[in-house]
Amino acid sequence: MSTVELDRVSYAYRGGGLAVRDVSLRIEAGEVVAMLGPNGAGKSTTLLLLLGMLPPRTGTAKLFGGPVARAVADGRVGAMPQAGGVPPRSSVRDLLEFLHAVYPRPMPVAEAIALADLDGLAGRTVERLSGGQQQRLRFAMAVIGRPDLLILDEPTAALDVQSRRAFWASIRGYAAKGRTILFSTHYLEEADDNADRIVVLDRGRVIADGTATSVKRMVAVRTVSVAEREDGQDGGFERLPGVVAVARRDGRVVLTTTDSDATVLALAAAGLLRDLEVVGAGLEDAFLTLTGNRSGV
Amino acid sequence: MFAYVRLELRRLGRTPGLLIFVVLMPLLNYLLFTNLHGLTGQDKDVAATYTMVSMAGYGAIGALLNYASGVVVDRSIGWMRQLRLTPLSPVRVVVGKGLTAMATAIVPVVALCAAAVAVNGVRLGAGQWLAIVPLLWFGSLPFALLGLGMGYLATAQTVQPLNLLVYLGMSIVGGLWLPLDVMPGWVAAVGRWLPTHAYADMSWQVAFGGAPTGTDVLTLTAWLVAFTALAVAGFRRSVRSTAGL
Repeated sequence: MSTVELDRVSYAYRGGGLAVRDVSLRIEAGEVVAMLGPNGAGKSTTLLLLLGMLPPRTGTAKLFGGPVARAVADGRVGAMPQAGGVPPRSSVRDLLEFLHAVYPRPMPVAEAIALADLDGLAGRTVERLSGGQQQRLRFAMAVIGRPDLLILDEPTAALDVQSRRAFWASIRGYAAKGRTILFSTHYLEEADDNADRIVVLDRGRVIADGTATSVKRMVAVRTVSVAEREDGQDGGFERLPGVVAVARRDGRVVLTTTDSDATVLALAAAGLLRDLEVVGAGLEDAFLTLTGNRSGV
Repeated sequence: MFAYVRLELRRLGRTPGLLIFVVLMPLLNYLLFTNLHGLTGQDKDVAATYTMVSMAGYGAIGALLNYASGVVVDRSIGWMRQLRLTPLSPVRVVVGKGLTAMATAIVPVVALCAAAVAVNGVRLGAGQWLAIVPLLWFGSLPFALLGLGMGYLATAQTVQPLNLLVYLGMSIVGGLWLPLDVMPGWVAAVGRWLPTHAYADMSWQVAFGGAPTGTDVLTLTAWLVAFTALAVAGFRRSVRSTAGL
């Protein structure tokens, strides 16, 4: 029995194309999985389908081998949606005490406060919390029921670097208790740093699924760069063999390529070879290759 | 569900504005209507008792409509959606919201009755008080459902004007401000069938030595059924449709 089981799930919003197409996904107990993709890739929709908040057009979603609604009613799922969800004029303690009473096997309120790093803020109303503090409250609200499966939709969007780091420490603290976690992000380093496994989504499809290393290995991506011509009369880089992305920075044209040999030979043939540099690429470039995103880094 | 009611009561406790508003407005009206000679077309003693019932009811309805239609805010900020991700079922949420609404309605009822006794020297038998206070309190249930219905069906932009229109319209035409006897005939003809009138008339009857009439009870019950249907329809629509996560 898998913790999460999506079987060929599709969904279309009214008046739009398919937001999610034929997505199949299995997550086993104890895995920490990142769902990675650009905006509009279908991450949030997939998570909504998985939480039973949208009915799949085709296919089935199961949690813990049964219906999603049962898993939610049993308090086995905790979720942190992307925004909102905190009612004004309630204090941190009010909300956590309420949820403590609602879940069958909750952790003590004090433990949730400590886990989410909310010490000293229990009496504060939500209006008087900073953005980062509100986000941590939403995390505490998602974990207080000790869910076996925790779903976080872009949990660190709109946080600064420092609070982001603290936030991931909290999430890893929860994962260390053997819980299953699925989070979505478009920050590649977050996926790389915090997940055992990365599922890459693009235009509603799963286009890669594996460890960070294997996702990178799937495409042997390299970066080839040459100096720009002063007259700016160079172009057509995107049509060279192997090139999947073109960016210009600091007077250089930076090409992401899946076949650096062919790209370099073509550059030479076109007379564009000036101050050549070829380096191995990071996950960022692998990601661009996978999603065919040509808008640059 | 009671944990939810507790949370809602705590939130209400931080919004004293609502309760002050629904007590102060009817109280001011009460003092005005009973001390401006001849405004209600009744003797001063009659007006003191009659308007006590009207304004207690007016306050209770205001509290219910205002609080219950606040569901629209819970919906628009995504709190309702967040609740759906917890083991608390949507039905319990809506019942909890209704129970909290009913808790708010007792405040203006007690305040107006106390003011009538203290300021205007209204005296009723113990049996009458024991009938009037529960009638004003529990009889206001249809308005809790109307408020919930509006909160589920309206949007954050439309709910306030809609609320005001329904509240003032039904109160004035139903005879809660001035008795239907001093209203134009056609207004009284409509007003007689409004839930506001049936609701207040039950207590007027008791206050002047009678008992709620069958017509009052049937009229209010019919409105209760209609408003329940409205609230259920809105609730169902809200549970079915979900915006982005």
